[in-house]
Amino acid sequence: MLRREGIAALLERLTDEPVIANLGPATFDLHAAGDRDANLYTWGAMGLASSIGLGVALAAPGSKVFVTDGDGSLLMNLGSLATVARQSPPNLVHIVWDNRMWYETGGQPTHTSTGTDLAGVALASGIRNVAKAATLAEFEVALDRAIREPGPWFIHVDVEETGEPRARPSVAPEENLLRFRRTFTG
Amino acid sequence: MHWSDEVVESLRAHEVWRAAYVPDAINWNVLAKLEADPAFTVVPAAREEEAVGIAAGVYAGGGRAAVFLQSSGFGNTVNALTQLLTAHRIPAPLFIGMRGGLSEFNAVQVPSARPIPAILDALGIQHYAPQREDEVRKFVDGAIELCYASREPVAVLWQAQLVGAKRAAP
Repeated sequence: MLRREGIAALLERLTDEPVIANLGPATFDLHAAGDRDANLYTWGAMGLASSIGLGVALAAPGSKVFVTDGDGSLLMNLGSLATVARQSPPNLVHIVWDNRMWYETGGQPTHTSTGTDLAGVALASGIRNVAKAATLAEFEVALDRAIREPGPWFIHVDVEETGEPRARPSVAPEENLLRFRRTFTG
Repeated sequence: MHWSDEVVESLRAHEVWRAAYVPDAINWNVLAKLEADPAFTVVPAAREEEAVGIAAGVYAGGGRAAVFLQSSGFGNTVNALTQLLTAHRIPAPLFIGMRGGLSEFNAVQVPSARPIPAILDALGIQHYAPQREDEVRKFVDGAIELCYASREPVAVLWQAQLVGAKRAAP
C-alpha cells in the first residue's frame, strides 16, 4: 500500500483531531491529503514526532492525537516508545509508515530493510496495543480499532515508496504552530 | 524556603503544569516536589531531546511545560532547541543543573558544561544563573515571564555557587 492512501484513510475518519507529521514524505502526504488547522507539519527535529505527539496527548486529554512517523525517524528516537509506554496516554495513536529507507536523502536503506522489527520494539517497550498492516484494508481495521479503543496505539504499516511529487506545505513553521495551538485554546 | 520550593511556586503561579526531564541530582530537588504534587504532570524521558519534544508538544496542545536536564545532556538537545523550539517560536523554560564548576570531582563533566553559556548565546537563547537562594524566585519568575512573552526558550542555570557541588560517593 501507499502512505498516501493510508493518510487519506486517516483524514476521512477525522474531524478536528490533531495530526502531527514527521518531516519529509509524512508531512508532504498529509498536506496533499488535506491542509487543516489541526495538522502540525515538521521540517526538522528528526525523530521527535512521537515525543511531540506525547506532549500534545498529555496537554489535550480530551482529543485523540495521531502521529504519522517514518522508520528512519523512529530509529533516531526508539526511547520515545518506552517513554510513551511509561506514560500510557490512552489518547495517543502512533502510526509508522515503514518504507525501509531514508527517502529524503536519496533512498538509502534503513535498518528495517535488514530486519529490525519496529512493531516488536514497540511491544517490547511496553506498548500493549500494537498492530501491523501491509495492505490498506489491514490498516483500516487497525485504525478503526485505535480510534474506537483506548490506547496508546502503535500501528506499523509496510508501505511501498513510489516517489509521489512532494506537496510542500506553504504555511511557515511559526504560523503552523500557532494555528494548531489555537485549535485547543480557541 | 529552600530554593527548589521557590521554583515550584513560580511554576504554579505561571501555570506551567507540566515538566519533562532526564534526572539529575540538582533538579531532583524540584522534580521530587512536582511529582508529589497532584497539580503537576511530570514526564521522565529517556533522552534530553525527547524531553524538549514533549515540552514542545504540550505547548502545541495548548499547555505549558518546562524541561529539566543536566549540563552533561545539554548537547543532546541542540537539534530540538533549534529546529523545533526556535524555528516554531515555541516557549519552554529550561532548567539546567550545571556540573563542571566549583569543586567538580568528575573531569568529564567540565568540558561539557563549560561551553553551555556560549552555546546558548550562539543559539540566541537567553540564560540566567541565580547565585543566592534569596534571588531564585525573582530569576525564575522573570525567566518564565520572558519565555512566554517572547515565545522563545529561556534557560536557568543552577550553578554550584547556589546549589553546592556534588561530592564523589565514598
